[in-house]
Amino acid sequence: MTWISKTITVFGGLLLAHACYSAQEHSALQSLRAATSTLTSSSPTAAALPVDIAIETVVATLVILLGLVLGTRLLRPIQWRVWAGKIEREGEEGFVDNEGEVNKDYVGNPYRILETRPGFVDIRKQRREFAQWVKNGGSGGAGAQ
Amino acid sequence: MAPSLLHPPSQLSPAAALQLSQQAPAVLQSSPSTVSASPLSALFSASESPELWTKYENLLLSCLRTGDERAAHQCLERLVARFGDDNERVMAFKGLLKEADAANNGQLELVLKEYDQILSDNDTNIPITKRRIALLRSLGRVSDAASSLVRLLDFSPTDAEAWSELAEIYLTQGLYAQAIYALEEVLVLAPNAWNIHARLGEMQYMAATAPGAGTGAGPYRKYLAEALKRFARSIELCDDYLRGYYGLKLVTSKVLKDSAGSAKQNEADEFSLPDPATIERLNELATAKLSEIVRHAAARDPGWRGYDELEVTAARELLNKDASALPEVVR
Repeated sequence: MTWISKTITVFGGLLLAHACYSAQEHSALQSLRAATSTLTSSSPTAAALPVDIAIETVVATLVILLGLVLGTRLLRPIQWRVWAGKIEREGEEGFVDNEGEVNKDYVGNPYRILETRPGFVDIRKQRREFAQWVKNGGSGGAGAQ
Repeated sequence: MAPSLLHPPSQLSPAAALQLSQQAPAVLQSSPSTVSASPLSALFSASESPELWTKYENLLLSCLRTGDERAAHQCLERLVARFGDDNERVMAFKGLLKEADAANNGQLELVLKEYDQILSDNDTNIPITKRRIALLRSLGRVSDAASSLVRLLDFSPTDAEAWSELAEIYLTQGLYAQAIYALEEVLVLAPNAWNIHARLGEMQYMAATAPGAGTGAGPYRKYLAEALKRFARSIELCDDYLRGYYGLKLVTSKVLKDSAGSAKQNEADEFSLPDPATIERLNELATAKLSEIVRHAAARDPGWRGYDELEVTAARELLNKDASALPEVVR
């Protein structure tokens, strides 16, 4: 979906640039006319911006907004069970930011340490298991608790 | 995807641990070897971040596990240089390194004596107390470990990690009632922990199906009813929770099989099972959900890649077993 949002944003940017350019041209024209009108002393027309330029500016801003909003990721869930389910179902992939990196504050299931218990780690058992795993050719035996 | 160094590494697979410990030279190279604690030098040198020390701790654990003692010692040196020799956490890591370096039980006894020495100076040193308990358990003195843990919990009753360890110790000894009590304490401290709800359900299921428990008796039905409720609660707390649905399916199948044999039930206590129609529907729901999860996970669909492969395999086996036994259950 990103290319759609990017196209829309770029299109909105072009519109906005066009509106700015039109406004600039309009004011240049107005000042030229004002300089000549002092000679001819015609009616002092107000240098108001034509309404089509104003509309174009507003539309361009809305289009840019639309493009940016379409390009953002989904908001994070605020319901506990949805959030927890997302962690279980998607793992790290569900918590990447716009650059495609995993969020820094992502910790997975925060209650996992109640089952892994790093404070009570049995390092000798872990070393034995790792040595066994290496001996088995480094493939089977993923049973690490 | 490479595992992050910011998370505790104890649940990682050996391959992931190896991958982490192979990052050790790069991490040690890229970060400064000493960070001074004085505020004056902090003005001039690069600022330290809390993540750096988390990284060192996790790197230390991974390197110890994969047998890379040199890098582990380097990590420890840096932690000591920053936090000092008498920091309780650092003391625990030092003890951990000594345990890993010990070649025989005699040296481990020396480490144990050292822990006792530290605790006689300051018996509120909780990291060292935990190390001592873990070492006792590792040496096979499980009942000593349990009694020390009970003393620790007398003194610090809000330590959920310690309650959880106590539950596992009791479980290895076959003391189901005590294990369930300890795990319920964990739930008092962390009522939203969906994995602990599932774990408690598993323990109650184990208690119900243990060889000595006997079928049809009061505690048997009570355990099954409670296990059913625990698994249901874990699913309530976490959508699409594979472990919760697995347990739910296991328990409901068991209950349905039992009630097919003997229809009598309904002692009017608070742990009575729901009526058979509800259990039947729960069983169908769990089967449907499990097969959905297994199907998506097997196809590696985007948004379904977080499940552990072993768990998915187990769920598939359960479904297959159930499918082959289906005619008897449905009648």
